[in-house]
Amino acid sequence: MAYSAEISRVNPTCFVFLVDQSASMNDPIGGDSPQRKADVVADAINRLLTELSVKCAKEEGVRDYFHVAVIGYGSSVGSAYAGALAGRDLVPLSEVADNPARVEERVKKVPDGAGGLVETTTRFPVWMDPVANAGTPMGRALQYAESIVSKWLVDHPGCFPPIVLNLTDGEATDGDPDGPASGIRAHASADGAALLFNLHVSAGDAEPVTFPDTDTTLPDAYSKTLFGMSSVLPTDMRSYAATQGFSVSDATRGFVYNADIASIVQFLDIGTRATDLR
Amino acid sequence: MWAYVSTLSVPKDGATAEECEDASVVVPLIASDEPTDGPVSVAVADGASESLLARPWARVLVDSTVEAVRAKPEVLHSEAGFARVVLGAVDDWDTWLATYIAEREETARPIKWYEQPGLERGAYATLLAFHLTDVGLWHAAALGDSCLFQVRADSMLRAFPVDTAVALGTSPALLNSRNRDDELIASNAFVAGGDYQEGDQFFLGTDALAHWFLTEVEQEDCPWEVLRDLSAAGSVDEFAEWVATERAGGRMKNDDVTLVHVDLG
Repeated sequence: MAYSAEISRVNPTCFVFLVDQSASMNDPIGGDSPQRKADVVADAINRLLTELSVKCAKEEGVRDYFHVAVIGYGSSVGSAYAGALAGRDLVPLSEVADNPARVEERVKKVPDGAGGLVETTTRFPVWMDPVANAGTPMGRALQYAESIVSKWLVDHPGCFPPIVLNLTDGEATDGDPDGPASGIRAHASADGAALLFNLHVSAGDAEPVTFPDTDTTLPDAYSKTLFGMSSVLPTDMRSYAATQGFSVSDATRGFVYNADIASIVQFLDIGTRATDLR
Repeated sequence: MWAYVSTLSVPKDGATAEECEDASVVVPLIASDEPTDGPVSVAVADGASESLLARPWARVLVDSTVEAVRAKPEVLHSEAGFARVVLGAVDDWDTWLATYIAEREETARPIKWYEQPGLERGAYATLLAFHLTDVGLWHAAALGDSCLFQVRADSMLRAFPVDTAVALGTSPALLNSRNRDDELIASNAFVAGGDYQEGDQFFLGTDALAHWFLTEVEQEDCPWEVLRDLSAAGSVDEFAEWVATERAGGRMKNDDVTLVHVDLG
């Protein structure tokens, strides 16, 4: 059965995050939040890298079940890591965990046990900073990811298939992204084809469309293109999505349209849910 | 009644023996080819890989449990008694953890930011405790899916606490190293007991072995025969080779595997 390979230190897999850094990412995300889209996406990626590190931490350090690339696309296409990892593409998770660019102290509100909230500080590791300028070279970014995936599979032919997660807020400015997207999905390990999941960040108040299994409810050609680029969710991820309250079918795709803050977090959580760690 | 006791354990494929998160202890400590004629106490624990410090937590659980059972075997007669044993292990864990954190500091390896959430959540493990009296009776208590099988006259007489392979496929109950809620522990625990006769065999195993065992039984095979032979041989290498074959054939999942065999033959 496809998408059932164990993920271990001798048989790791990889995540490639593609992050839109075009000028429109400066706009506020939809809904009640005044936050910039670029800030929300950077926070979500940084938080996910934190959670992955904690999940894979053992007494001797963080286990390299995953190698992770964070690629930005805007004025250029390339590594979005800051600090010691700047310029690198795939990085073993143990190195990611040991090399945040900095650790910020952030204030968060937690229940005070008496029905109210109290402010407390929490440590927030940061690997990538928000960037927003220039156009949306999504096609080049997808080709960049394809190159990473292709090289990875030469060395890891039996791995759980690589997962590419693309977070964007606009249409590609360098041509139809469908071809480069197909290029990623055409690569495969012995366990199945590489996965490409897409998320569109909202700037308005429209309801998010989460993990659809058809494009008939999508509003325009652009959203239908992103839907068409997205892989069907493998069984385990689909089951996990169902436990999170999403309505799923065999045709459910890894795609979210008009994502708000909550659905960005859910997208990253479900899209990186590879549970069979050994 | 003379009993021979042997223990075999192999880590999951891709891990070292030092990374095996199963733990077991047998008292009295005897070589597998030497018989004992007094009471025998056994504990088996399976540390949950997803948690930090699962291996030492499993070790503290079995050591603390067997010590409590040796002091007062009646603790295995009720879920409440078993819960009190676990609370003792949680106390022992606090001592162990304080020493561990101090050692990390002293050796210039302080706890990293990515370890802190795991330490705060605590470690998780299953626990199975077993006591063979010298008056023909046995008692056991369990929380989670580490299993005990009693075999008599070439037939499985008892499986505890899980008796079907499919029931082992679900998420097991686990003991958390910070759990001091004895009522909650008791409500998730099970106790069992029975008699034994000369020739009986008891097999205690963690979930991968238990799943294999029950599947074989459901296919009307006799899994105790191969385990008895492996136990009699007493070779960890031979056991590891057999486990590797079963894994490769898709008959056993890739997980740490522990077997304790108590042979009254």
